[in-house]
Amino acid sequence: MLPNAGVYYFPWEINSSVPEGETLRTFGRLSCYNLARSEAILSAQHSAAQHHVCVDTRLVEPFEAQLGSLYMVLGEAEHREGENPVIKARILTCVEGMNVPLLEQAVQEQRKYFSERQQRMGTDTS
Amino acid sequence: MQSESKKYEEETPSLFWGLDPVFSAFARLYIKDIKEMRESKQVPGIFFYNGHPVRQVDVVGIVVHTKERDAFYSYGVDDSTGVINCVCWKNPMVSRSLSGSPSTLSSLKVLEQMKKLQEMVNQKTKLVIGDVVRVRGYIRTYRQQREIQASCFYKVDDPVCDVQISRMLELPCLYREVYDKPFQSPGERQSGPEGLDFSIYILHEKVKDFLLENKIQTFYQQELETIDTLVSLAGEPLSSRSCQVNSKPDSSSKRIHSVFKEAIKMLQEEGVVFQKPSSSKDLYHVTDHDKELLKVTLDVVKEDCRKPRHAEKGCHFLHVLNCVRQNYNPSLAEVVMHRVLELLESNSDVVSTMEGYYMAF
Repeated sequence: MLPNAGVYYFPWEINSSVPEGETLRTFGRLSCYNLARSEAILSAQHSAAQHHVCVDTRLVEPFEAQLGSLYMVLGEAEHREGENPVIKARILTCVEGMNVPLLEQAVQEQRKYFSERQQRMGTDTS
Repeated sequence: MQSESKKYEEETPSLFWGLDPVFSAFARLYIKDIKEMRESKQVPGIFFYNGHPVRQVDVVGIVVHTKERDAFYSYGVDDSTGVINCVCWKNPMVSRSLSGSPSTLSSLKVLEQMKKLQEMVNQKTKLVIGDVVRVRGYIRTYRQQREIQASCFYKVDDPVCDVQISRMLELPCLYREVYDKPFQSPGERQSGPEGLDFSIYILHEKVKDFLLENKIQTFYQQELETIDTLVSLAGEPLSSRSCQVNSKPDSSSKRIHSVFKEAIKMLQEEGVVFQKPSSSKDLYHVTDHDKELLKVTLDVVKEDCRKPRHAEKGCHFLHVLNCVRQNYNPSLAEVVMHRVLELLESNSDVVSTMEGYYMAF
């Protein structure tokens, strides 16, 4: 069986409203890696606030953790204790050097296109 | 359910698929759309996205699932809108081990080169989870699941996601410009209903040729329906169409009549023919051969160009249209006037001084 598609989320969108089990992909700088607990933290800056995404790395170990580098993670959201969900990573890739603003723009463009299309379909059927 | 059957009716006859450029291209669609597209009832293996027939697709995504078989790899590819299985056949050159003892130095070199090539192909085609892959191929349904039969696939080196980002930026434009626009045959303007009907379009072209070649000035629709070469055009494509569409109990003459009516309507919209309120409502006048209309128009332009305010630039199109409407036919369509002025211009009776302005001497 194929997994669900990993929808793009921005790090600052990962909060308690993400549905349990949602397949998603996001990015951030690896700020902390706890090998013993198989836990990594990806951090991103957005409108003056620092956002942290907690990643469960059990499925992608061993991996070469380069602290401070940009990483892309794809996996499922899991609500454990605490406010924000943990991402159970299936894929964790170092993408150091990625043009983050351009990725943001691309994600926005894709969302805009699909919401436009949704609206068009809505008006077509009504 | 109703919209389903409506969509089904709108499926373009396979004869015309080749006219749509999407048909012969590798369509760069979102995986979500590849999985949701409707399959053709006429030819399985062809799919329709918004009326465009799609035969082959091109996707880029992350490998999220792998399975190896003797002859192929099966990769699950995720482009963030959907995940689809891609069946990627192994290259027989790679799986076959190069053996045999080289006899000469030169053949040894060749063997070395071949081994390098094998390694290279292996690197590009043996993928692991997390790799970025580009796949081109046909869509097929296997055990009720859609998958892509790769005709070409390779690993994409995308360390900083440039390839994926540029594709994400490109696809919305491509959709807006190409896939989401309904296909229109060249020459067909905005006219016509949504599901375009090529038989009407072809008939309208033939009727136009017929009217112009035979210098016909006026005609009734019934007269056209007595011309065998035209009637055969109206009859044939329609009867083949009625095989796919749920055919109503409709006599063939009735159908021919309605096709002719549509074709004449198209000619009216193009300004090739027009009607006069003074004459019978079924009588059509051919613009190019209506001497009176040509003369009235030419007189209007000539006369007004003598007036000082038009002497320099000539008369504007809308001014000519107004005068002709007053003198000749109050309901004359703008397209007809355009056609008349183009004709007068090509005969050098009038000269256009600038966009929309005409002058006569």
